[in-house]
Amino acid sequence: MREIDHSLPGDTLEHLDEMTCMLYVERQLDRTRGQEISQHVQGCSQCRTLLRAMERESRLLTRAMLEEEEPLPSRLAQFQDRARRSMQWIWGVALGLAATGVYALYTSYVEPWQSQLDQAGFGGSNLLSLLIFQGAFWKGWQSVITLLEVLAILTLAGFGLAFFRRRSRRGSAFALVLAGFCVIAALVPPAASASVTRKGNFVEVKEDEHIKGDVFLFGERVRVNGTVDGDVFVFSTDATVSGHVTGDVIAFAQSLHVSGEIDGNIRSFNNNLTITGTVTRNLLIFDETLNLDSAGKVGGSVTSFTKSLNLDGNVGRDLLLFGEHIGIAGSVGGGIQARGRTLSISSGAQVHGPISFTGDEPPEVSSQARLASPVDFHRAEHKPRYTEGSVYVWQVIWAAAFILFGLVLFNLMPGFCREAVANAERYGASGGLGVLVLFGIPIAAIIACVTVVGLFIGVSTLFIWFECLHFAQIVVGTLVGQWLLGRTSHVWPLIGRMAVGIVVVRICTNIPFAGPWIKFFVIVWGFGAIALAVYRRLEPSSGAAAVVPSQPLMPPLPPTTTVGGAQLA
Amino acid sequence: MEAHRPDRMSSPGKVEPTEIVARARAGDAEAWGELYRQYAGPIFRFCRRALPTREDAEDATMEIFMKLREKLIQYDQTRSFSAWLYKVAANHCWDMLRRRKIRQDKETDDLENVPLEHPDPNQLDRLIEQKTSEEVRHALDKLGARARMALVMRYYSDMSYDEIADALGVRRAFVGVVLLRARHELRQALGATGALAAGGAS
Repeated sequence: MREIDHSLPGDTLEHLDEMTCMLYVERQLDRTRGQEISQHVQGCSQCRTLLRAMERESRLLTRAMLEEEEPLPSRLAQFQDRARRSMQWIWGVALGLAATGVYALYTSYVEPWQSQLDQAGFGGSNLLSLLIFQGAFWKGWQSVITLLEVLAILTLAGFGLAFFRRRSRRGSAFALVLAGFCVIAALVPPAASASVTRKGNFVEVKEDEHIKGDVFLFGERVRVNGTVDGDVFVFSTDATVSGHVTGDVIAFAQSLHVSGEIDGNIRSFNNNLTITGTVTRNLLIFDETLNLDSAGKVGGSVTSFTKSLNLDGNVGRDLLLFGEHIGIAGSVGGGIQARGRTLSISSGAQVHGPISFTGDEPPEVSSQARLASPVDFHRAEHKPRYTEGSVYVWQVIWAAAFILFGLVLFNLMPGFCREAVANAERYGASGGLGVLVLFGIPIAAIIACVTVVGLFIGVSTLFIWFECLHFAQIVVGTLVGQWLLGRTSHVWPLIGRMAVGIVVVRICTNIPFAGPWIKFFVIVWGFGAIALAVYRRLEPSSGAAAVVPSQPLMPPLPPTTTVGGAQLA
Repeated sequence: MEAHRPDRMSSPGKVEPTEIVARARAGDAEAWGELYRQYAGPIFRFCRRALPTREDAEDATMEIFMKLREKLIQYDQTRSFSAWLYKVAANHCWDMLRRRKIRQDKETDDLENVPLEHPDPNQLDRLIEQKTSEEVRHALDKLGARARMALVMRYYSDMSYDEIADALGVRRAFVGVVLLRARHELRQALGATGALAAGGAS
């Protein structure tokens, strides 16, 4: 090997090494070094030839690369226009279908329910607003905002943020902060009222106690024996309300027994609910069993989604019932609309309004029961849903809704969405992590809800988890779209692929028998991909590790070697 | 002694599109279209040389321009727009190759044989004399990703050693090594044997 000795004058240099020749040709050596080389090659024909050959090699490379001027592919020539046109088409269709879907949803479900609930005495509120907007988070808002308005606001906010983000170019963090602010502003109650919180194995509002304000009770056993001048929120295994509550009772309990006096409503999500006391207003029940004892009294209406319902007491107004087995033995001031498997009306029953029942079997009505009119019975039809044309219309609407949701997400978080889609190709990791987070997050969120501090976090997490169920399908849909139309990492072509993929995924998830399983696997898979993307975002060194090779690219050079005009250490 | 470097991006004497860039930054769709029309061809050819397939090059070109739209605000207008655009393109292509794990581990190993030898100048001269541009292009397709990328960055888009180091994620001092190793690979692909392809005669 011929090393270069820098101390020697040019005419005494040994032959130049190839690296030095190349750096000289490329003008990467410092001036002094360059002059030495020039001086050397004047007297060394071999090195002169090498330098010339390398220079010709450089020219040949440049020429070869510049020649063969391939014309710009038509796909690229029309790229901008096509992208713009195609997105206009997708936007138009998706927004149109989404608007149709919202309208159809309102007229098909919300409006009839609202009408039924009006008849049932719920005073103009619809079921969703009862569920959501009359809860603790919505005090003061319920008369102002309806669910559709909020959905519209959030959708517009999403598009607005996406637009604003493109304008401001300050990154997704800014948009997310704003979006988070909007969500928090929408969820947080306008003014926090004074409230009392109690926790423990056994939690009690004593008989002689009088609490002004809302009460939050967390415990294995909860007893409300005193007076609460506000709402009562119960999270418990075994709860009894035997005192006086001037507001509503909202309960999440395995077993709830109400023997006291409730001036407001009961909204309960329990296994068993027994009422032997008085409820002045309405019941909204999502329970396994509901027993309204003969001593029990409900002044307003009952809306019930229960497996088994026994109504021996008095109800002042209408009943709206969905359940397997419904038994009526008490007095009902209004009418009954029921849907279930069986309906039994006993001898002691009194119903002052019309009765409509849709079920599998004809109702058993005692001849001694006092009814305003005979039961209007409709046998429930269980024809295959695939024979109904409306199913397909709804599928199209759902697909459009998914595409719309995907558009908002891809615009708000393009980087994150791309990463999630890329992670979906790591099948093993996505699947494994998907199972973990799909089942783990709700459990963790529910545990978090047990504490007051964690309640908001838990509810928010559950909300995000629920949205991720849909996002997961979008991620997998996008990947499927890429399989069909080719890869891309840019947002708009990716959205186009997402739209195609969503349609394919929706079709697959509606295949008879296999469809639900496909949907489950799609959700698990997509969930895992999202979780991987989140994990990588949180991983502190992943970005650097992705760019810098882990191995050194070159072993140390001899100390006298110069590269790029600088001596290497 | 400097190799001839034709202007890859524009016709001779053409000035930097400062005004168009400024308008595009301000959101002018026409200016953006003009930028695209002017630079889509050169960038596509850059990608065509750097990436394995034509489809990859088409995808990459579109992605680079969409990325450009987002990054244009970061462009320092006191510097050459073409140089900056090539840097964006090089980063994107290399990132694309890296993500697909096309980079071969052996490329790292190759660098351990630091080429400090003196090849036979006449043999090299004959090789260069005999080979046509088309043969060189075919040979380029056979190179490893890093070697091809380095050659394209240097001899197509005239990027500096610093820019190449930045794009490839290597130290500046190693760029010469990468380029020389790439030349050796190329000579080998062109049919050179023995010392010329292996790094020179001992």
